[in-house]
Amino acid sequence: MSGRARVKARGIARSPSATEVGRTQASPLPTSVDLSNNEASSSNGFLGTSRISTNDKYGISSGDAGSTSMERGVKNKQDFMDLSICTREKLAHVRDCKTGSSGIPVKLVTNLFNLDFPQDWQLYQYHVTYVPDLASRRLRIALLYSHSELSNKAKAFDGAILFLSQKLEEKITELSSETQRGETIKMTITLKRELPSSSPVCIQVFNIIFRKLSLWPGFAISVSYFESKLLFSADVSYKVLRNETVLEFMTALCRRTGLTCFTQTCEKQLIGLIVLTRYNNRTYSIDDIDWSVKPTHTFQKRDGTEITYVDYYKQQYDITVSDLNQPMLVSLLKRKRNDNSEARLAHLIPELCFLTGLTDQATSDFQLMKAVAEKTRLPPSGRQQRLARLVDNIQRNTNARFELETWGLHFGSQISLTGRVVPSEKILMQDHICQPVSAADWSKDVRTCKILNARSLNTWLILCSDRTEYVAESFLNCLRRVAGSMGFNVDYPKIIKVQENPAAFVRAVQQYVDPDVQLVMCILPSNQKTYYDSIKKYLSSDCPVPSQCVLARTLNKQGMMMSIATKIAMQMTCKLGGELWAVEIPLKSLMVVGIDVCKDALSKDVMVVGCVASVNPGITRWFSRCILQRTMTDVADCLKVFMTGALNKWYKYNHDLPARIIVYRAGVGDGQLKTLVDYEVPQLLSSVAESSSNTSSRLSVIVVRKKCMPRFFTEMNRTVQNPPIGTVVDSEATRNEWYDFYLISQVACRGTVSPTYYNVIYDDNGLKPDHMQRLTFKLCHLYYNWPGIVSVPAPCQYAHKLTFLVAQSIHKEPSLELANHLFYL
Amino acid sequence: MASGHTPQRPLPDAKPTPRSREPRGTELGAPWDSRGPRPTVRAHECSSVVDGNFEEVPRETAIQFKPPLYRQRYQFVKNLVDQHEPKKVADLGCGDTSLLRLLKVNPCIELLVGVDINEDKLRWRGDSLAPFMGDFLKPRDLNLTIILYHGSVVERDSRLLGFDLITCIELIEHLDSGDLARFPEVVFGYLSPSMIVISTPNSEFNPLFPSVTLRDSDHKFEWTRMEFQTWALYVANRYDYSVEFTGVGEPPAGAENVGYCTQIGIFQKNGGRATEACVSEQHDQHVYKAVFTTSYPSLQQERFFKLVLVNEVSQQVESLRVSHLPRRKEQDGEQGDKPKDIGGSKAPVPCFGPVFTEVEKAKIENSPKPFCVGDKFFVPLQRLLAYPRLNRLCANEEMMRSVIADSIPLSSDGSAVVTDLCNYFDEQFEF
Repeated sequence: MSGRARVKARGIARSPSATEVGRTQASPLPTSVDLSNNEASSSNGFLGTSRISTNDKYGISSGDAGSTSMERGVKNKQDFMDLSICTREKLAHVRDCKTGSSGIPVKLVTNLFNLDFPQDWQLYQYHVTYVPDLASRRLRIALLYSHSELSNKAKAFDGAILFLSQKLEEKITELSSETQRGETIKMTITLKRELPSSSPVCIQVFNIIFRKLSLWPGFAISVSYFESKLLFSADVSYKVLRNETVLEFMTALCRRTGLTCFTQTCEKQLIGLIVLTRYNNRTYSIDDIDWSVKPTHTFQKRDGTEITYVDYYKQQYDITVSDLNQPMLVSLLKRKRNDNSEARLAHLIPELCFLTGLTDQATSDFQLMKAVAEKTRLPPSGRQQRLARLVDNIQRNTNARFELETWGLHFGSQISLTGRVVPSEKILMQDHICQPVSAADWSKDVRTCKILNARSLNTWLILCSDRTEYVAESFLNCLRRVAGSMGFNVDYPKIIKVQENPAAFVRAVQQYVDPDVQLVMCILPSNQKTYYDSIKKYLSSDCPVPSQCVLARTLNKQGMMMSIATKIAMQMTCKLGGELWAVEIPLKSLMVVGIDVCKDALSKDVMVVGCVASVNPGITRWFSRCILQRTMTDVADCLKVFMTGALNKWYKYNHDLPARIIVYRAGVGDGQLKTLVDYEVPQLLSSVAESSSNTSSRLSVIVVRKKCMPRFFTEMNRTVQNPPIGTVVDSEATRNEWYDFYLISQVACRGTVSPTYYNVIYDDNGLKPDHMQRLTFKLCHLYYNWPGIVSVPAPCQYAHKLTFLVAQSIHKEPSLELANHLFYL
Repeated sequence: MASGHTPQRPLPDAKPTPRSREPRGTELGAPWDSRGPRPTVRAHECSSVVDGNFEEVPRETAIQFKPPLYRQRYQFVKNLVDQHEPKKVADLGCGDTSLLRLLKVNPCIELLVGVDINEDKLRWRGDSLAPFMGDFLKPRDLNLTIILYHGSVVERDSRLLGFDLITCIELIEHLDSGDLARFPEVVFGYLSPSMIVISTPNSEFNPLFPSVTLRDSDHKFEWTRMEFQTWALYVANRYDYSVEFTGVGEPPAGAENVGYCTQIGIFQKNGGRATEACVSEQHDQHVYKAVFTTSYPSLQQERFFKLVLVNEVSQQVESLRVSHLPRRKEQDGEQGDKPKDIGGSKAPVPCFGPVFTEVEKAKIENSPKPFCVGDKFFVPLQRLLAYPRLNRLCANEEMMRSVIADSIPLSSDGSAVVTDLCNYFDEQFEF
């Protein structure tokens, strides 16, 4: 198969993974409008462009000669698709007002800016036809733009659809032009639609206009409607660039693997990664590796002359390619529009490409990640400074100003708004109610308190090696002491010594685990992933017993033993079905559900769906299931299976069904809202309806997103800071068509806190917005792996932890026998 | 502007503009021209005729240059820079800074200046001259500063004194007679660089274009070869320069007698470089406004030198470590934890990677070998210094030690880099 054919074949099979670091995701634009590379607009009198060529006679170009559309450092997140899903209008209790009123008002500054335009602003959409028809988009554009009727108008044109901000005099305008060959071409410009500024198409055009200005290296920008206003949002964005070229990576890999399986491994490791070329600062994705082409081979330049890659880079960039044996990376250049021209390929020299994103090795290096975080996590004051500089740039730049003015747009002021801080929560322990000093971490406040409910641990095993036996013993003493003071009885376990290899651990587990064993603890000699994975895999599905893995290294940390033992004791309690603490829940019969979805680490087309539901009114006990699926609609189906199971459990424990069910759905990507509304909500509703013959439970479904564009800061003592825990924003930065709010339920020790975004897409419960917000805040206190508040409601965090374990380590559905335990903590 | 009493007149941008009637090639999307000049429109009859550059439309009448003429001019300057290796280069009438972008990759240049009358354009283009991310990871050897000034070429600014090369590409034909008269006195007399390159259209070539009088509406004149050479010789003579004439844009077969489309004069100062003393005697005279300044990271800066050296050392150590892994496994049974020589020569040969000359190979062979003690792996600094890439950066062991000491663990006597022989990620690559 030729290189190109292979790329194509792969292109079909491989879908871009959203989880990869450093990958710029192209946002799905509806096919009707594709102006992303339109030369368009501004009356500078230039015709066409010098960048784009539809001439694909030479399929392969040297990397930089190709014309990619990527803008440096600019990433655009758009959710045009989601914007047309208006869920609020169906929710009677919030149709008029979706804002709460309780709590202390707090003044907030945002990263949003007004974008002003005249009241009656409209966008005019025209269709342009050519007689005789012209295939070349460039020629179409050139002919149209050369006309004086259009030369002074702001315009965006993709060769067929033309957008103008000023209406042409006639509904149908006929123009004619002569080509170089002397051929007369008739152009007919027909008005198709007049679009109000609130139309999604307008938002797309606005985004295109702003992206074209590309004034903002290092900023993620977007234009969108928030409540009643069009706002521009900007946030500092980072890309991780590795100080390693692809050639260096390949050479190192070759040393490790040897020659026999090198090419295969190399392709597996590199394909799909994003590289940055040193000489022109562009990013490309690696789609293939062509082992047959070397830097000494020639390629054809656009002018038809042949040149070797080596000579080309020397001439053009004064770069000497030192390794003449390296193969070529192949990158499929993004197709710019929906024409039929064949996709272009670029050949890149590994030596001149830097890898982007972090390796697994790097992400597992705690110190390194800490250093990265220190650099990338800007404090609120730093962010505010950058924003001020950005605004200054936009306002000083005459070209940008001119371009915006031609469209009738004016870049306005930074938005300030008022949020509310909801009251803090009390933590309920067995015989004590505690008001934590800080909701961020109450471990000190509850140190002397007994946990709500613990099961005695009588029969259990510790697996360790000879080397770690001593630390295991001393740890065990410590563990029993702290567990005792918590009210968790831990008997002496059976200690089994095993050899230091993953297989030996699994063999020992197989040999010694019998039905009486409540828990297996493994003291791992290294953080090699195979130890953890093989043990977890066996004990989660083949032979379901709760397990606790501890790194020997962790136990060697001097002076940390007590806090480590406390944390492990808590995890063990939960794994045995115990309950640690609670918060006051004013609703008497409420089930909360958390759902998260992620891709399996091994087979990327498999979706791991984690579902966790509370099974008692106090919301301290949970039913957890994880299901593997292939498509989004399958996800909806498996939710039904899960809900039926969860309701049965609830019935078993409470002898009735819950009056209310609130589902928190995380793991929703851009453009998936419609699927949720059309498939998931009906499936959830039908499972609830089917479980009861008379009145069924009332259901609410809330989409939870940890990533969102807006950021909020408070001004305190003349500096900007993160807002306090419990800050709710439900106006101005929200969307008019949704019942949505932002909640800050975590502290950021470093950097700027990102608010969590909640969108209530279905709501039978009819809780007041105040109550919905407070309940959500309460649920953020119930994640038992951390004695403090977390950024999302506990059921979501549990579902996330469960999917992560399955996606990374187990790769199959855990046994249902473990469903009543938080076995995955 | 040139002076307070002359009316404001935009000083030409020396590059072809859309108005320019100079023929352009069909080559599109070249690496650096994406922000540069765009395809032209030849609008002789209002707006009804569109240039065929957008298509592969054969032009019967017009002459086409391959590569396009403006690029031939830039390439000419670049070749000159390669040949003479000037340290300080200024481009007067730099326009959209295309030439500067081409020249900035040149390793010999340490100061690159652009001057133009169009401030907006300079500001707009400035960012494209800023260092790329890759420039931080693979820094240049020498420092490079790029400055864009807003100002007129007929004004004196002392910051442009002492240059090795000043280029005026397609500039003089945009000067009116007053400015043209002042131009030599400023550029040759005051700035007085070692070398000056001046290019201008050759009007003898014009009859080959269809219906062309002047190639650009802003041109005040276009000279024949004789006119240009007379002017140039007079100027050279007056300011003690010698001048050579050449050009780019070969005439088509049969019309050789008209000469190059663009004529070029290369002026070299008699008596060599401007002496530093002469520069410092001048009074500081800052009339230009600096609108953009950037400096490039380089190995001359300690921070980047350290970054590069630490990275190179780490990679070399890692590659030596990995190539010793399989051998070590075989030997595990035979030998205990005694220090042992495990050599480097018999490591599996990679299919690519650095290739060494015989001399380099011998040098590496003769340097102290890496060794193991227990589960630690040692690479002597002397060994590292034997590799050409490291040797190029670092002359001696002491220097290497002092730079890397706080970033890379060293043995107790500081003579070798120490690392764990095996790490967690080795397992990931076992198949």
